[in-house]
Amino acid sequence: MRNALLIAVREFLDNTQTRGFWFGILLVPLLWLVASQVPLILARKGTPTRHVALIDTTAGERLFDVVLDQLKTAESRRELFHFREWAASRLKPGQALPAVDKQPQAWSRLQEDLGPLMKADAGQFAPPAPLNRLIALPAELQWRGDLSEFEGRLRDWMRAGRLFKPVGVDEEVPLFAVAILQDGLTSNAPPILRFWSVNQADTQLQDRLVDALSRNFRSREYSRLGMDSSSIARVEGSQAQLMSFNPRKAEGEEQVGVADLLRQWAPSAFVYLLWIAVFSISQMLLNSLIEERSNRILEVLLSSVTPLELMTGKLVGVAAVGAVMTLGWIGSLVLMTFWTLHTAGAAAMAADSIAHRLPLELATLLLDSWLLPAFVLYFLLGYLFYAAVILALGSTCNNLKEAQNFTGVIALLMMVPLVSITFIPKDPNGPVATVLSWIPPYTPFVMMNRVAANPPLREVIGTLVLLLLSDVAVLWGCARIFKTAVLRTGQPASLVQLARWVLGRD
Amino acid sequence: MLAALELRHVSKSFGRFHAVQDLSLSVPAGSVYGFLGPNGAGKTTSLRIILGMLSPDSGELSVLGSPSAMSVRNRVGYLPEEKGLYSKMTAASVIAYFATLKGLSSTRANQRARELLGRYGLGAFADKKVETLSKGMGQKVQVLASIAHDPELVLLDEPFSGLDPVNQEVLEEILVDLKARGCTILFSTHVMSHVERLCDRLIILGGGRGLFEGTVSEARSLLPIRITLETAEASPLLEILPGVRSMEAQSSNRWRLELEPGASASAVLESCFERSLRLRRFDVQDPDLHEVFVHLVGPSARETALR
Repeated sequence: MRNALLIAVREFLDNTQTRGFWFGILLVPLLWLVASQVPLILARKGTPTRHVALIDTTAGERLFDVVLDQLKTAESRRELFHFREWAASRLKPGQALPAVDKQPQAWSRLQEDLGPLMKADAGQFAPPAPLNRLIALPAELQWRGDLSEFEGRLRDWMRAGRLFKPVGVDEEVPLFAVAILQDGLTSNAPPILRFWSVNQADTQLQDRLVDALSRNFRSREYSRLGMDSSSIARVEGSQAQLMSFNPRKAEGEEQVGVADLLRQWAPSAFVYLLWIAVFSISQMLLNSLIEERSNRILEVLLSSVTPLELMTGKLVGVAAVGAVMTLGWIGSLVLMTFWTLHTAGAAAMAADSIAHRLPLELATLLLDSWLLPAFVLYFLLGYLFYAAVILALGSTCNNLKEAQNFTGVIALLMMVPLVSITFIPKDPNGPVATVLSWIPPYTPFVMMNRVAANPPLREVIGTLVLLLLSDVAVLWGCARIFKTAVLRTGQPASLVQLARWVLGRD
Repeated sequence: MLAALELRHVSKSFGRFHAVQDLSLSVPAGSVYGFLGPNGAGKTTSLRIILGMLSPDSGELSVLGSPSAMSVRNRVGYLPEEKGLYSKMTAASVIAYFATLKGLSSTRANQRARELLGRYGLGAFADKKVETLSKGMGQKVQVLASIAHDPELVLLDEPFSGLDPVNQEVLEEILVDLKARGCTILFSTHVMSHVERLCDRLIILGGGRGLFEGTVSEARSLLPIRITLETAEASPLLEILPGVRSMEAQSSNRWRLELEPGASASAVLESCFERSLRLRRFDVQDPDLHEVFVHLVGPSARETALR
């Protein structure tokens, strides 16, 4: 076994001493980081100010002010959010930010009030540029009372993508949208918003305007019908309180919280990791085997080691690579969670806020649950299954192109557990999950996904034993194929030939 | 002399194709043994059988006294026909890696790798990646990798192919050094001059069978000695010279003679003097190994080439 170990060490070093490997390890947490931070960064500074014009053609109640109020309120809330974030990161140690839920007359005044709580070098808060700025249309687009004639001019202007300098703006800007407010078709019908914009993907502004117009219309209707609109608004704003309980939890602790949600969905994240790990390291194994085969290094190796030693060494070496890779991912996930907490300003958060509790809950989950042991076990068993098949098939191919015919089929088969990631947690002990659990190539992924749902013990043990037996059978069969095929040249073997090799008839 | 390697009536078929048929050979310990044959003659299959990578269908073999090379693999070195190395490893580390697989400790393997690279002119490239070396250098590295563990038996499949004349000389030097310290060497080649210079014994394979086994001079004796003879004047007496099998007159006073097997050129020369022939030229041409090779495998090799 010394030789198998030497091969494993070389395989490990060969794969881990490449830039691509470390880039792959960094890529996953980097993607997580990007996915979690980009929306925040965009919310802070990403979106440029959009210039919007409003034309109110309504005859009855003028709706211009309604819409204007709505835009002002939204901007005010946004500034408040930015202020809270700015202030939280500049608090003195041990200080907490008092409730700031209303925009002050002047930010500098509020900053002065909070002065004793803030660090000396806090600086001055600068409100962000507005998201939407209401502007007057240029002379060519002045409203002349005829809707179709106006929209004709507007369409041509917007199609041309023209820039103009609105009053109060120092630079030339494009016209993001024009909102035309129209009376409803009947006197009691809600108003119509004709929203012209070349950007139809971002519906935030039009949704906001429709919401303001709808609320205003409902309020007016309540008054017209003799109902107290403010009472109705208050009632409409109320919502039933949800308290979710899980009877499987300990007595007195049945209420479901963040930790429970984390426990429920964490296995899915682990299944995803498991899938990426098994898939990517199987590819590494195939590449390494094909390199040795096409270079004829295999022939030299086989004059020094037995095929079984060679196969064992490669399996162990690449498994170690996979272990480092997944440890890197899990470690970086934990580090990132703590980093997010640190940068968000732990002191600024209430001790019982979700963000404050998340790293602790995550650490508790990883240390106190079956997740990590199950992950390690299913990683090893799943990896052995796929890696043995890859090695056996790879040993019959002369180059990567030939091997891709086989790996394409394996990749297709591996799509099933990937697709099942989202639906299994919704019915973890249902018939689909149960059936998939008993199919050995899928057992590691499906059972990992069911960990949180406490599947029946007989299923856990039964599927595990079946998977173990399948691994042994697959390793045995694949070793026989490997031994026969590894020095063979010429066309890749047919399925019949593979079967003959497994049965030892060639 | 004890045999380092012995094959007795070994056969191996792949389906209907008989790669090796009833092959027997004996390689004396400490000798250099040539393994000759045209493409497809069964050389590589025979080597794989010797190394235990393939099991023979029938026959027996003894490698350093063991029925299987796998049990004495640390005492055997092997260089395959198609050369390849791990392109991302350095020259020293790749030699050391293969040496550790043959039982050397990591420290000793590294020492040996640098020692060999230095001795054979590659010391400056010890820490260069294999992918940066020339083809010839890479091939030399692979030869060194096959002998770094001080094997008692070395099997080299076409070691000279792809090497320039200077590096061929270096490889010859390596083989001479190996022999000097008692190592048994078996190598296959298509270049007969290497066999003539280096080998104590040789085998010529054709169609999976052993067509000849013996020393280089025994191989040469398979073909008749040729003599070009020129006299000062035309002479009719030539036909009665002893041991001459055939005679071709190239001009009125110049002949090309072919002697009977076993006949000696000196007897012919003596007879010329006895007959008072006035010789202007007496040129003896021993058959070379190339001619013996073509004579033995020519028909079957052509068949294989045309298939």
